[in-house]
Amino acid sequence: MITIQQLTKKFGNFTALDGLSLDIRSGCIYGIVGPNGSGKSTLLRLIAGVYRADGGQVLVDGEPAWENVAKKDQVFYLSDDLYFPPKCTVDELLNFYKGMYSGFSEELCAQLKAIFPLDTSKRLNTFSKGMRRQAALMAAFSCCPRYLLLDEAFDGLDPVIRLLVKKLMAQQIADRQMTVVITSHNLRELEDLCDHIGLLHKGSVLFEKEIDSLKLGLCKIQAVFTHPVDWQASGLDLLQVHQKGSMVSLLVRGDGEKALEIVQNFQPEFAEALPLTLEEIFIGEMEAVGYDYNNILQ
Amino acid sequence: MITLDYQSKDPIYLQIKNRIAELVMLGVYPPGTQLPSVRSLAGELGINPNTIQKAYQELETAGITCSVSGKGSFVAGEGGARDILKGRAETKLREALRQARLAGIRKEQAAQWVEQEYEGGGKP
Repeated sequence: MITIQQLTKKFGNFTALDGLSLDIRSGCIYGIVGPNGSGKSTLLRLIAGVYRADGGQVLVDGEPAWENVAKKDQVFYLSDDLYFPPKCTVDELLNFYKGMYSGFSEELCAQLKAIFPLDTSKRLNTFSKGMRRQAALMAAFSCCPRYLLLDEAFDGLDPVIRLLVKKLMAQQIADRQMTVVITSHNLRELEDLCDHIGLLHKGSVLFEKEIDSLKLGLCKIQAVFTHPVDWQASGLDLLQVHQKGSMVSLLVRGDGEKALEIVQNFQPEFAEALPLTLEEIFIGEMEAVGYDYNNILQ
Repeated sequence: MITLDYQSKDPIYLQIKNRIAELVMLGVYPPGTQLPSVRSLAGELGINPNTIQKAYQELETAGITCSVSGKGSFVAGEGGARDILKGRAETKLREALRQARLAGIRKEQAAQWVEQEYEGGGKP
């Protein structure tokens, strides 16, 4: 369990994180999304104990990771900007990590070497971006950390490797309740991966929720009416009403079937319930709390 | 056996639950069959084991499976599987009929198709 309370981090007079509070339960895959510069990487570095907080605290199982060797042994942080020792081969890299992490599993490491399509005797500087990331992920999984912090981890991976990494993650979570925190600026990338998602904006959490409840909690209905309908008096819990000509698009909180029934009662020419993408859900929820998502994205 | 649709409005755990209920109903998983372990299914589908766990719990609540501690989940019987599938079929049928009505298909025509489907086992 990672507990973050009123966390503040400043760089000079720039406030990267501003009183951020968040709980990340063990065994979940927590996705942190946000525009560039919203504090995603800073947050991960604070959890990993790379940075020291200016205010508030980050507790990993009740203890801060800053200058805490025992905690750092359980946390693996994979930076977006990978660093490898000069002239290092994949084998040497894995050996290096073997010396760093007490949980390093030779058995798993050998399995990973067989699974990933990399020549482990080659130097990392001869590899492409995606291949280097694969090598780093091999090291991360081999160390069997309790907490895996991934910064833009899927950047540069091909779809086959991406699926492989997803499967490896699922197995490690099942085997030993690993917790994964992953950041991305791309909601679509996290959609099929995370069970919780938090949206960061200007150094604080705007919104966080379980993906399942997000999907069940909202529905979109499109309908065509030849007569005007007063939606505010319809009894629907509306988040959004968009009208284009006779076409009405409604974002409704609650059960989709019931909402569609209510809309049917208004005698539309046509009405249908549509699946929502995570992006649409976010935009809807954001607008509901008074944020204009379009402005945030710019 | 189980495929997931990330575009669907149904959450993943519900898709897994419905699909397993369907497989039980169709007799693919007869009573007594052991369901794949949470770990292997999570690995196979590449999704969080907690999601699978949630689906399995709901299946147990619906009386379709029972879990034996230390061994895994086993198919108990049809239990509520029929109700789950009936519910889904009704939704689909109503939706199809709505579309038929909008497409201008007469009630008699629709009724005729219903008749054919039920009598002829699908062959027109």
